[in-house]
Amino acid sequence: MSQTIKADKTLDLKGLPCPMPVVKVSKGIKEVQVGQVLMAETSDPGALADFPAWAKTSGNEILDTVQEGNTVKFYIQRKA
Amino acid sequence: MDEKTRQDLLKLFEGKLNQAMRLYLETCSRCGVCTEACHVYASMPQAKYIAAYRAEIVRRIYKKYFKSQGRFWPSLGQSKDLTEMALEELYEAAYSCTGCRRCMVYCPFGIDTQMIMSIAKLLLVGAHAEPEILTMLADTSIAKGESLEIFREGFLAGIKRLEAEVVAKWQSQAGDTVIPVDKQGADLLYVALAGAHSIIPAAAVFNAARENWTLSFFEAVNFGAFVGDPTRTKLILERIVGEAKRLGVKEVCICECGTAFRVMKQLSGPQPFQVSSITQVHARYIREGRIKLDPSKNPEPLTYHDPCQIARNAGVIDEPRYILQHLASDYRELAPEPIYNWCCGGGGGLVALGEETLDFRMKSSRVKAEQVRKTGAKTLCTACENCHTQLSDLNQHYQLGLEVKFLSSMVAEALVP
Ligand code: SF4
Ligand code: SF4
Repeated sequence: MSQTIKADKTLDLKGLPCPMPVVKVSKGIKEVQVGQVLMAETSDPGALADFPAWAKTSGNEILDTVQEGNTVKFYIQRKA
Repeated sequence: MDEKTRQDLLKLFEGKLNQAMRLYLETCSRCGVCTEACHVYASMPQAKYIAAYRAEIVRRIYKKYFKSQGRFWPSLGQSKDLTEMALEELYEAAYSCTGCRRCMVYCPFGIDTQMIMSIAKLLLVGAHAEPEILTMLADTSIAKGESLEIFREGFLAGIKRLEAEVVAKWQSQAGDTVIPVDKQGADLLYVALAGAHSIIPAAAVFNAARENWTLSFFEAVNFGAFVGDPTRTKLILERIVGEAKRLGVKEVCICECGTAFRVMKQLSGPQPFQVSSITQVHARYIREGRIKLDPSKNPEPLTYHDPCQIARNAGVIDEPRYILQHLASDYRELAPEPIYNWCCGGGGGLVALGEETLDFRMKSSRVKAEQVRKTGAKTLCTACENCHTQLSDLNQHYQLGLEVKFLSSMVAEALVP
């Protein structure tokens, strides 16, 4: 599915100190328009756990997650 | 501000008025001893950064609404109405205070400015005027506690991918799980942060010590505490307490996060497990001969920053020094007595606010940078992620030319069979 998803903005969030992965994804989503997609890349297990929870509380939608080597790409659509 | 909002906020204020708080609000003699004790004032001498001045903003509202003198003769009691403008002043006072409590150890009455600032923070939460990023982070943590299933598989897969890096630091014994998660009957539950750097070295040391351990699904940090919201603080804390009870562990070990440790240690109440910081656990492993370290790995002069929430405010002072005796050959103290150590300047949620607070964090911590520079150390280590971030920023800003490290990572790097 991700092959067909075009990201409007991308963020490399690998190896950042706490709590920057969630802070940056939260700021990043506000920099795309409603309906557009942010791609956030991480290799940190805690961020893998945080992003779905953040999406749930902020009302945004994770369209897909794609693993590439040790990193995971989250495709997140801004909903509101 | 409408009357209903004001009354709601005053109810929140009243809920904070226990005996200790009333004492703090009624005792200040304005002696001024706390003035130079605050790193913010010492670095940027402006009246608004004096500990007693910050407290005075809360104190005047207290006088106005909770003391008869203020209610009847406002002009005599230096009382203050709770208005939008007062909220702005409360914001400035609370979010320029890192809650380090250095002022408290100097105050002859032991007045706890951090505690007084917790009223300011709670009023801001009540008025929805707190930094929204902190509430967002707290709510993300709470959502994780409510629905483990939304991240469980992704988290477990992410943990599995770290195993090779753990084994590279310490070869586990055949048949052992490198990073156990959700292990019923484990003795120790390790609560880490989001980053792999807070899991990999810790796992290597647990495995070297042959600990019967398991990794928590949750992150240790408590943003409910940073934003000063007791309800959120409790919900975040309860996720870990519940997990520890479910697994039947004897000990909950908190990673290098000062606030997480202090909150778990001081707010979790009587529990069937003990609470330790990873620094305490590492010191114990050395004392019991469960791990051995090679001090020749760190020949350069080295100093250690005591995180306020772990040292001054939770008493973990001897353990890091004991570890460093086994880890470094030229250890230098930052402060003559650790309880008087300067705060790094990043606490109270300031680091989490990122770029927004960077300029203030750098200017308000000039005395910290000078303190570090004076030691002549080449390595600065600490045991708190928040401090590590702030000290790394200071290192860059003041061109200190240091290597900033985590104490736990240094332990993992120095492991010898
Ligand atoms: S708690 Fe720390 S930052 Fe806050 S007023 Fe006291 S010394 Fe200053
Ligand atoms: S040291 Fe204590 S009593 Fe003196 S001004 Fe500061 S808070 Fe008030």
